[in-house]
Amino acid sequence: MRKKSLSKSIILTLIVVLGMFVLGGCGDKDVADKNKDPNAALKDRGSVVMGLDDTFAPMGFRDENNEIVGFDVDLANEVFKRIGIEVKFQQIDWTMKETELKSGNIDVIWNGYTITDERKAKGVAFTQPYLENRQWVITLADSTINCKADLKGKRVAIQNQSSAVDAVNAEPELVASFAGGEPVLFDTNNEAFMDLEAKRADAVVADEVLARYYIKLRGVEKYKVLEENFGEEEYGIGVRKDDVELLEAIDNALNELREDGTYEEIYQKWFAE
Amino acid sequence: MIEYILKLIPAMLSGLEITLSIFSLTLLFSIPLGILVAVGRLSKLKPLVKVIEFYIWVMRGTPLLLQIIFIYFGLPIIGITFERFPAALIAFILNYTAYFGEIFRGGIASIDKGQYEAAKVLGFTSAQTFIRIILPQMIKIVLPSVANEVITLVKDTALVYVVGLGELLRSGKIASNRDASLVPLVMVGVFYLALTWVLTKLFQRIEKRYAYYQ
Repeated sequence: MRKKSLSKSIILTLIVVLGMFVLGGCGDKDVADKNKDPNAALKDRGSVVMGLDDTFAPMGFRDENNEIVGFDVDLANEVFKRIGIEVKFQQIDWTMKETELKSGNIDVIWNGYTITDERKAKGVAFTQPYLENRQWVITLADSTINCKADLKGKRVAIQNQSSAVDAVNAEPELVASFAGGEPVLFDTNNEAFMDLEAKRADAVVADEVLARYYIKLRGVEKYKVLEENFGEEEYGIGVRKDDVELLEAIDNALNELREDGTYEEIYQKWFAE
Repeated sequence: MIEYILKLIPAMLSGLEITLSIFSLTLLFSIPLGILVAVGRLSKLKPLVKVIEFYIWVMRGTPLLLQIIFIYFGLPIIGITFERFPAALIAFILNYTAYFGEIFRGGIASIDKGQYEAAKVLGFTSAQTFIRIILPQMIKIVLPSVANEVITLVKDTALVYVVGLGELLRSGKIASNRDASLVPLVMVGVFYLALTWVLTKLFQRIEKRYAYYQ
């Protein structure tokens, strides 16, 4: 009998402890309110949360002091200064970015984020394009691959969930001719490049902006960039579809930055040859 | 080279902070909860046993990564919103409680019935019997399995990257991407090894302390 009463009191404790967890979570009013009313006037919000993959050099990454820096970060700081609201940088897992945006954990995706129809269909509204980009094909310097058709039977490495994947998949016959019938997907571009260097992959498809950064770091003489590419594209800033105020505010600020030369200044800082 | 390594250390220490927070808070909650789960699972209350069996099945039967994603991204759909860190922590506690619960259940079940009977004869209440007779013996039995689980936990903490928490492995990846170098990842490995070394030594000492009948 006694044993039973012991287990009963234990169950009670268990329920109370778990209950405290749930209540503790619900008490977080800030987050709940933000979810319900994403249309609140910009000034009332006080701050916006910008989501970025902090491994994404040179667009947004962490320097040696663990500070978030990069072309996008400089640009965003300037844009939100003009809008007059504070911006908070939140590192996210890049594969979860649209989920983070939709659930209101972040308000902006701004991290070399390519404008694609697929992403628009996911509920993302894009600002005007702010940077042009090409999907480069990169091989080792001594590779026999000289055009896209040469990729037949070769192993092609790409960063997972990047627009390079979409760009390559836009040419399904070519993809089917790759070794394995599909590209090899890596978590980061750095890993794709390491795979190339280890000679497991024969080519990497990546954003030009990013590829330039890695090629410069790892040694220009080691690589070859094909003249043919997988198309041009544009980087935009993503917000929730119903967040019209924020979208317009960013667009206006971007126009201002272009007109007064601040954009060019920031561009030169990061991409000067 | 040494200069480069020194430069990397501050960022790694801040990653280590998240790793250690998740690690220690998970242990702090999931070990006591694990004991409760084990006791509940061994109780004679059929519905409770069924519920716990279901809970353990779900927690052991799905990847921890999926559970973190579900708690952080899934629960807001039904109106329960957690911040990043609590969401990850809850997933870890729920998951590890299930594993600890099963380890403790094995430990408790392996204790001879005679111990209960002797305690009863000596006039111990069931609470006294459990806390003073059964629990200490159980701890002795489960120590090696718990050590195993604790060391696995150190490395599992790397999964919190999925909700955007900058833990140790992530800090290495960031530096690796920035500098196109493998050195930061090697350093991360050294950090993990140092952590598990400390834990291994710690458990060796605890096991020695509990080996009083040998």
